[in-house]
Amino acid sequence: MGGRVMAALSYARAINAALAEEMRRDERVWMMGQDVGRMGGVFGVTRGLMEEFGALRVRDTTINETFIVGGAAGAALAGTIPVVELQFADFLFTAGDEVFHKLAKWRYMHGGAFEMPVTLRLPTGLVGGAGAEHSQSLEAFGMHVPGLKVVLPATPADAKGLLKTAIRDRDPVLFFEHKGLYRVKGEVPDGDDVLVPFGQAAVVRPGADLTVVATGLMVGRALEAAQALAAEGIELEVIDPRTLVPLDMETILASVERTGRALVVHEAVRTAGAGAEIAAQISERAFFALDAPVWRLGALDTPIPQDPELEQLVIPNVDAIAGAARELRAL
Amino acid sequence: MTTATLPDGLDHAGLVELYRQVVTIRAAELRLRRHVEEVGFGGFWHPGIGQEGLQAAAVAAMEPRDRLFYAHRGLGYAYAKGMSLDLLFGDLLGRVTGSTRGKGGGTVHFADPELGVMGQGGTLGSNFVLGAGTAVASQLLGDGRVTVVFFGDGAAARGTFHEAGLQAAVWKLPLVWVCENNGWAISAPIAEQSPTRDIADRAAAYGVPGVVVNGQDPLAVFAAAHEAVARARAGEGPTLVEAKTLRIRGHFEGDRQPYRDDLTNPDEIPDDPVPKLRALLGDDGRADALDEGARAEVEEAFDRALAAERPDPSVVLRDVWADG
Repeated sequence: MGGRVMAALSYARAINAALAEEMRRDERVWMMGQDVGRMGGVFGVTRGLMEEFGALRVRDTTINETFIVGGAAGAALAGTIPVVELQFADFLFTAGDEVFHKLAKWRYMHGGAFEMPVTLRLPTGLVGGAGAEHSQSLEAFGMHVPGLKVVLPATPADAKGLLKTAIRDRDPVLFFEHKGLYRVKGEVPDGDDVLVPFGQAAVVRPGADLTVVATGLMVGRALEAAQALAAEGIELEVIDPRTLVPLDMETILASVERTGRALVVHEAVRTAGAGAEIAAQISERAFFALDAPVWRLGALDTPIPQDPELEQLVIPNVDAIAGAARELRAL
Repeated sequence: MTTATLPDGLDHAGLVELYRQVVTIRAAELRLRRHVEEVGFGGFWHPGIGQEGLQAAAVAAMEPRDRLFYAHRGLGYAYAKGMSLDLLFGDLLGRVTGSTRGKGGGTVHFADPELGVMGQGGTLGSNFVLGAGTAVASQLLGDGRVTVVFFGDGAAARGTFHEAGLQAAVWKLPLVWVCENNGWAISAPIAEQSPTRDIADRAAAYGVPGVVVNGQDPLAVFAAAHEAVARARAGEGPTLVEAKTLRIRGHFEGDRQPYRDDLTNPDEIPDDPVPKLRALLGDDGRADALDEGARAEVEEAFDRALAAERPDPSVVLRDVWADG
């Protein structure tokens, strides 16, 4: 992306820009969801889009997740490109049949007769007291059902570039936007065609001593931990896979071959999370490069408490990541 | 020539074609039944015997560009919409000649987007929201197409019925719902499934018309569907058409139906639409020729399907993604 003009945008504005650009580029692209139009979204992400594109292309739905996802599936089968928002990623479960059966399997069951270019925008993770049913990180569910692509942008630039790729992709995409990142600003390259490809991990910090694979909000926390450890002479290499399906294991494995150690960090519950899959693949494919077992950090096996202080105790913080990296380095 | 009064939108040539379709679908159903009896296949074949008239008549009320989502009982909808018996039998027997290229064996996912046959979900009632979605696409694109969603009385219990109904009514989507009320949700009679006798009563909750017709009378079904399709195409929103019909066979072919005490001779179809349509054709011998042609077409297509190849094992990894 060298040489491009950059603008400082928040993660939310970057997503908004991606939506607007793609709707301008292709009139088959349209949106729906609860409160996405007149209100501009519960998190303000879709502000201004109904004004520009009208109430036919930016549709406020009833409180109706099975229709939001199932209707998007039908509209995709009929030649349009729907981008739909569930207000919280947790509502994947209220539209479970539509997400895990219809989006994921319709093409396969019908022998490839149909396209399913649906992007499902899913505000994910802790937001500060939203409670057990509005705070989960459910990306592993998307990984476990073949037919779905799974995306987790950690920066404004990735949010924009990955969303544009998602909208242009012919397969259904679960796009997990972290609610805690919406206000975070970062440099975003200008240009309608600046896409971030799927299946290409980002090495966000190079380092020789230990590979940290982190996703979503944890990418920033891993970078903070890396800075802290650098003062102690430990150099973490931080890798953000950016997409879990497809998953760029090659970049991760190449890193582990150099560092000999790997720590996987995510906000989702540790048990059977995405980290379990990544750790297992590292063990299977880079076992002889390892100087220590692959470790995982994730949320405790508990629902997220509603209290904003208690909820933070459930997910990994910077100290926990730094502590785990220090211990793993010493093994 | 017939002297019967035909409903608006159906001329004598249309009536002849409707008869041809109905007797072909009937012959196809009976051929499948024979196959089940001969080779034991069919735990997932849900016969539509007796419901052919309403299926073909409702489809006859559509235009070729319109789309349908079918219910799981029968192949009549797909055949009436233009899919060949080779494709349908190929799917049913799991052959490469099927529309799903060998993936849809047993339980069926016939599909042909070009013909507007939009497929079927394995979870009952999932078609309501997808059908509302294709109707949204038509509204967005202004393509003038109408979507018809077929379903059984059992499927009407799903929450998707309400969620699609509510949104489709609010947005006045170009959509028609055709309920084939055969009185049974697998083993549960309608009286245990619905507090009202008519599913069509539910239309009132969405402020759309609910119409009840005799599903064994193809002309009545055609008339109701024709009006509903016209209304949808004119931007006036969805209509719920309920066709009262009968489940002649089990939930699936081979179901012994110990839960039923109303069973009669399976070869007798009460209020059978076939002789009813036949009587309308008049007495010029054409019906005999159509009957004979249908039987021959079915036998030949079924033999071709039986002789066709099973898919290569590599098919299991195909079509997961758009690029493979």
